[in-house]
Amino acid sequence: MLTNRCAPARFLRLCATRIALTLAAASLLSLGALAQQQPQPPKPVPKRVKSVLGFPDIKKNENCDVDVSGSSLKLKGSTASAEVQTSSIEDVLTGDDSARLIGGFVGTLTSFGPYGSGRFLSLFRKKLDTLTIQYRDSDGGLHGGILSMNPGEAIALKKVLVAAGAKTSVPIDESAKPAGDQKP
Amino acid sequence: MSTGLIARTTATLLLFGLAGCTAYAQSASPAKPVLQPAPHAIQVLQIESSEIKLPPAFQMAIYEHSLDEIKKTALFQEIYRDGDRRASGATDLVTLKTDVTGFKKGSAMARQVTTVAGKTSIKVHIEVVKGDGTVLAQKDVEGKVRFFGENMRATFDLSKAIAKALKENFKKPAAAGKS
Repeated sequence: MLTNRCAPARFLRLCATRIALTLAAASLLSLGALAQQQPQPPKPVPKRVKSVLGFPDIKKNENCDVDVSGSSLKLKGSTASAEVQTSSIEDVLTGDDSARLIGGFVGTLTSFGPYGSGRFLSLFRKKLDTLTIQYRDSDGGLHGGILSMNPGEAIALKKVLVAAGAKTSVPIDESAKPAGDQKP
Repeated sequence: MSTGLIARTTATLLLFGLAGCTAYAQSASPAKPVLQPAPHAIQVLQIESSEIKLPPAFQMAIYEHSLDEIKKTALFQEIYRDGDRRASGATDLVTLKTDVTGFKKGSAMARQVTTVAGKTSIKVHIEVVKGDGTVLAQKDVEGKVRFFGENMRATFDLSKAIAKALKENFKKPAAAGKS
């Protein structure tokens, strides 16, 4: 008799829990979608970037600290550092790129994974911003440095560089398109 | 009787062998172009991309990689960058002009997933020009990434092809001429 009275109550409690969970999940999803629609706040100036190439003494694809202080851009790698005067920068251009989520030596190893697992892992990629800096050395020789960083950070770094005296052929407002908004 | 047969067979085989060797030698050594002695100095100009819209990162990567690859060839004793003031005083200077004629941005993800699709290629026309405007060498060169690697790797491949094209046209200066 007791069991007969409790069974509908338990069923109702179970249903209520399920409904509550479903509603919570739906509200979370809708909040996520809303957050994506709203314009994202501008990203801060990056402190750490990857120097792809073009800066003397710094190895290719080396992660380094970046600092724009006074009238110079300073990059500090693990063993060497480079300094570029902002007055010698002729052009600063933003771009976008993408890279494998699992990169480097481990990324190469995963490509040999069994049952197509390497190919499956290749589907996961991260978006990147690139900043191309054209500058002249003391003899007038042209150099092209490329930095890569998280999406949205290139514009912030470009703004700081231009404010410090660097020139650009593309005004900041026109180039202000975060890589996250573009097709990979 | 058997000795005569053996002698005839041997002679025939020798004849065939000789004929084959001659034919192979003719096919294996096509007329090689006469290599010019490499000029003393080269100035690598900025990559021109007037007609084809090449991303600035690619443009600069080709320029920087080309400088590295030309240095590796050891053809030229002095290599100057675009705008280097020291180049004006260099003797026997040539300039390397590179003009982008084609660009197809593929997809690294498509390459890694399908292996056959998503090729990235960059085509350029290079010219080695003397100070008086004489063109010493010119060639259409292509850099591509077909199977492995990110899109930017095409710039590295192209730079190697540019260095190879220079090696096909110029020979290293004689050892006596080295300073």
